[in-house]
Amino acid sequence: MEHAASTAFMGSYSSSILWLIPFLPAFGALINGATGRRLRNNKLIDCIALGSVGISFLLSVVFFFRLFALEPSQRVITQSLWTWFDLGGAQVLGGISHNVMEWGYRADQLSIAMALLVSGAGFLIHLFSTGYMSEERNDGRYYRFMAYMNLFVFSMLNLVLGDNMMMMFLGWEGVGLCSYLLIGFYFDKETAAVAGKKAFVTNRIGDFGFLIGFFLLFMIFGSVDFNTMMGMTRDVMALPELTLFGVTRASTWWFNLVGISLFIGACGKSAQIPLYVWLPDAMAGPTPVSALIHAATMVTSGLYMICRMNFIYVNAETALAVILAVGALTAFVSATIGFAQYDIKKVLAYSTVSQLGFMFMGMGAGAFSAGMFHVFTHAFFKAALFLGAGSVIVACHHEQDMRNMGGLRKYMPFTFASMGFATLAICGIFPFSGFFSKDEILWKVFEGWYNHGHFDGPCLNLVAWILGMLGAFCTAFYMTRLMVMTFWGNYRGNGEDPHGLRAPAEPDHDHGHADQHHNNDHNEHHEPHAPHEVSWNMWLPVAILAGLAVIGGFLNIPHSLHFLGGSHFSEWLSPLLLQNSAAHASHGAVPAIEYWLQLFALVWAGLAILLALWIYKMDPTWSKARTFVAKLPFLYRWVHNKYFVDEFYEFAIINSCKRLSAQLWAFDAWVVDGMVNGAARISLLAGKFTFWIDARIVDGLVNAVAWSFKQTSLFFRFFQSGRLQHYAFVMFFGFLAFAFWRFLV
Amino acid sequence: MPMIPWFKNLPLWVTAVPLLGALLLLFIPKAKRRLLELGAFSIAILDFILSIPLWFQYDRTTSAVQWVTEMDWIPSIGVKFSIGMDGISLVLFMLTTFIGAIAVWCSFSAITERFKEFYIWVLVMQFTMLGVFICQDMFLFYLFWEIMLVPMYFLIAIWGGPQKLYAAIKLFLYTLSGGVLMLVGILAIYFLQYKTTGVYDLSIASFHNMAGAIAAQSQTFQVLLCLAFFIAFAIKVPMFPFHTWLPDAHVQAPTAGSVILAGILLKMGTYGFVRFMLPIFPNILPTLMPCFLTLTIIGIVYGALVAMIQKDMKKLVAYSSVSHLGMCMLGLFALNPNGIMGAMFQMINHGISTSGLFLIVGIVYERRHVRQIADFGGLSKTMPIYATVFMILTMSSIGLPGLNGFIGEFAILQGAFQAQPWWAVVATSGIILGAAYMLWLYQRVMFGPIDDINTPMKDLNAREIGYFAPLVVAAFWIGLMPSPIMNVLQKPIENLVMQVNPDFYKGQDLEKNKAEAARLGIRAMEAAPHAHDDNDHGDEVGNGGQ
Repeated sequence: MEHAASTAFMGSYSSSILWLIPFLPAFGALINGATGRRLRNNKLIDCIALGSVGISFLLSVVFFFRLFALEPSQRVITQSLWTWFDLGGAQVLGGISHNVMEWGYRADQLSIAMALLVSGAGFLIHLFSTGYMSEERNDGRYYRFMAYMNLFVFSMLNLVLGDNMMMMFLGWEGVGLCSYLLIGFYFDKETAAVAGKKAFVTNRIGDFGFLIGFFLLFMIFGSVDFNTMMGMTRDVMALPELTLFGVTRASTWWFNLVGISLFIGACGKSAQIPLYVWLPDAMAGPTPVSALIHAATMVTSGLYMICRMNFIYVNAETALAVILAVGALTAFVSATIGFAQYDIKKVLAYSTVSQLGFMFMGMGAGAFSAGMFHVFTHAFFKAALFLGAGSVIVACHHEQDMRNMGGLRKYMPFTFASMGFATLAICGIFPFSGFFSKDEILWKVFEGWYNHGHFDGPCLNLVAWILGMLGAFCTAFYMTRLMVMTFWGNYRGNGEDPHGLRAPAEPDHDHGHADQHHNNDHNEHHEPHAPHEVSWNMWLPVAILAGLAVIGGFLNIPHSLHFLGGSHFSEWLSPLLLQNSAAHASHGAVPAIEYWLQLFALVWAGLAILLALWIYKMDPTWSKARTFVAKLPFLYRWVHNKYFVDEFYEFAIINSCKRLSAQLWAFDAWVVDGMVNGAARISLLAGKFTFWIDARIVDGLVNAVAWSFKQTSLFFRFFQSGRLQHYAFVMFFGFLAFAFWRFLV
Repeated sequence: MPMIPWFKNLPLWVTAVPLLGALLLLFIPKAKRRLLELGAFSIAILDFILSIPLWFQYDRTTSAVQWVTEMDWIPSIGVKFSIGMDGISLVLFMLTTFIGAIAVWCSFSAITERFKEFYIWVLVMQFTMLGVFICQDMFLFYLFWEIMLVPMYFLIAIWGGPQKLYAAIKLFLYTLSGGVLMLVGILAIYFLQYKTTGVYDLSIASFHNMAGAIAAQSQTFQVLLCLAFFIAFAIKVPMFPFHTWLPDAHVQAPTAGSVILAGILLKMGTYGFVRFMLPIFPNILPTLMPCFLTLTIIGIVYGALVAMIQKDMKKLVAYSSVSHLGMCMLGLFALNPNGIMGAMFQMINHGISTSGLFLIVGIVYERRHVRQIADFGGLSKTMPIYATVFMILTMSSIGLPGLNGFIGEFAILQGAFQAQPWWAVVATSGIILGAAYMLWLYQRVMFGPIDDINTPMKDLNAREIGYFAPLVVAAFWIGLMPSPIMNVLQKPIENLVMQVNPDFYKGQDLEKNKAEAARLGIRAMEAAPHAHDDNDHGDEVGNGGQ
């Protein structure tokens, strides 16, 4: 293991304005959120929202150059704002550590690169939103949208610029909240509200793993500060074994545990199997949100976290293997789902899940910089594709079903060109960016099995490589399908549909455009406006992103193609990464097989594109696809319904949870509270019984005494008549009796 | 802060003001509603303002009881009128004056009959609660502990919902029965003390000193004594399975009653654990701990699950309290500084977030006089400010970082994880469920289409914004900068841990640790690689630069 990091941060530079990068968008969110509803001044809202993100971007550029000017091993600028909290002593490995968390930021090679991406792409997408949200601009919801978007940029910048895991977690949860708020932006639509909740709760399940990993790290290092952990890793690794909670294991065992726990968190945030289900549903949010949060930035935070924690992962082989396996599986499975989707955003959503799988494959192969590079190229082309899709949706009057589009090439040339280039990039066609980044990942995975010509590496790598190649094939196919369905043929949105390609009417269709009952109204409404190119503030961001997707690949040319340029990106990151030896060995001679694989990948992607063109373009009736579906209806239904995973979760987890709740509630009402009420009832009964005893026996005795007195007194009362005659009579007789007794006896 | 003589007795004044105020209210004619409301409110605000200097007077460098005032009361049996506070009491004391003012303020429109009695009872209630936190004498403590029930009983029984009498009597008898058990416990320790030391002393400090003598008694005696206190406090918290009085009391109580109940009354139980249970029974606690912890963990998950399917908003929040206070107990039972710090924060946070949520329910109840979740939907559309406040409080309740709830939950879980990781793992699942039921509630009430009955509902008015604002500000303040409160709690908690879990600091030079932490301080960790290069790579690796 090469240990570049431990010597890297001997000294660091501090800055007093670093905090402005994340906080400017926060201020933007605050101002817009507090005043937007009252002022209703859209221009002002635009200025604040775009301005804050734009200045953040410029500041990131400034910091990039400041770092650039420093020695590679010295490239850290930090700022600590305040002590966030201080929990007192904590018993960790090796004694008591003071549990202090700082509210601090750190700009280094990785975080500034991410900050550039977040604020840069964020700015472009904010710009796009000014056009896309034109309806909301008029009905007073616009300020809310922009405030949420700014809040998101703030959280995301916290995530990437945070100086310790606590700050990262702050951003981690913050982006989750913003995602929730933005998915549910059209909250009066039930689906949007449900999708937002689903995203949040699924992410919470991931956070469970993140927190466990976090606590374990704290127990091992006594701190979660990135610098401290990086610096101490070597020492911890040098220990023969670690004992925590009375369990003694090798340090790699603990690192594996940490790695897997953290990866569960990454699975939630970055939509990997089994926690990916929220991302396709998240498309219920406005399209710029899908581009910014659910394609370019937030979903890559899991990747960022793993790259940041690479010092753990290089020492955690099992965890890496898990990541590789999950990544490869996700890359393949979700790509296949893309075959059978008609909603343009759903296709892109599954494509995103699949591409994230590719990135995780790179991480799992130990090629952190390759994985990170794909984060960047993917951000360019996927943001371009999503924004382009947004433009298309606007142009087609909020129609999302590709079957109802078609022929848009003629109407929207800029959008078509941009999306076309982005598609070529995602398919991995030379020399667009996707070729370089995806190829590097697949090669690294393959290299693990290839093992310098011995072909005896872990079989997992071979399987993952095969899955990856299949996934790449699917990607090229469904993306071409998307382009053909959307941009070629004739426009089907106004009812001209000679081949019967339009979506069948669904009564519960969100937008009602396909609803036959309203078809006439809609046609009347639509006829005057054929699809049109969108305004400049919408196509320009798409074009810029597409341009980046075209040339971005040259930032990181693989070593095998070094005659084209250098691998600047990898070199830039390298002081931060503890790449394992395999990753570094590639700087030697390039094996011929790498060139063959590159060629193969190109041909492979080309084949997929041609196949899709053959099926969907050459034949405007799509009859081959239809016959295929007709032959295998079961397979189609299965894929179209996303393998029924959602239904499975609903049935197996959510329903059983609800059932358990209901049972516990009954238990609570009848048993737990029943005992309380039972105790009360028993007391009452006892009271009644006692009262009976009291009334009948105790009081009865008392009354009996009284009664006896009464009876006695009744007898004596007889003598007390109160009549003088009686008394005189008695006295007289008494006197007689006395006299009789005295004198006569 | 200069020690003006009457400042020395400031806690006493703060405690007395609500009682004096209640007496004052007696002289206001009962028809003068506005005057009564404003009078009660100004008394409550005055009380809160008076309590603020305490925050600055408090000496954070010691764990000693401060503002001590002691007078003989019944010398023959050792009863003293003895008051004072340490950091733990102070924090809850301040919370009481804070929540008290809000409880009065939120009642202006909710209470429509018998205003005079209502405000008098609320103020008396506040007096008794403050009394619990400042007394340093068991007799006085018991007195306040039991008297507290009387105003609460009337608040629920007079101004409550349809089943108010049932709820009020249940609350009264249930908690009273616990209290009586505690009285038996107190007397047992009292006589044991006479037997061992020959003096009658009812001061709390002397009870703490009895820990050793109690430990010398038979196991059975210790267990019974411990259980007597445990049940008394567990009912008040309330812990599973002693919690069923809580949903009834909350559902039937008027909003102000719920706010006081959730905000402060429940903290009496946890405060009892901190103040009495833990320091008096350090010896027997480990034996009973598995049992206590099982109840705690069940409470966390059980409360959350039961909350999930409630149809009544207030009942949902009430069951969420069971879950949240379970977390609080988990932190206490971790018996380490992180966990107890977290528990203290959970008490404060629960006071803020859950009181806030009861106010949130109160708002829609006042407007529509129903509380069933199914009766609402889509309110975000017409009530944007309400939606924002509700969202913030929801997030605070489910522990979003940056808001108050997170600090407590995080510290508790971290403490529990250090003590025994499985507790923390199970408890974390309660947090997932917490997000599920709160967001589901929010979705059903605030999102979706709005119907005609709900459309005319008015957004928050100025007064309502007024009483939500301090809660929201507090939620953010604690979430972003909790260290001022932590500084107050640090020493007393350290002291408590030394009493209850002396092994924790065994072999540790506390002062050295503290100095080390201060040295490491903010940017400390950069130096760590250096420090480690100088170190031998022994067992001390991992000790944050130790």
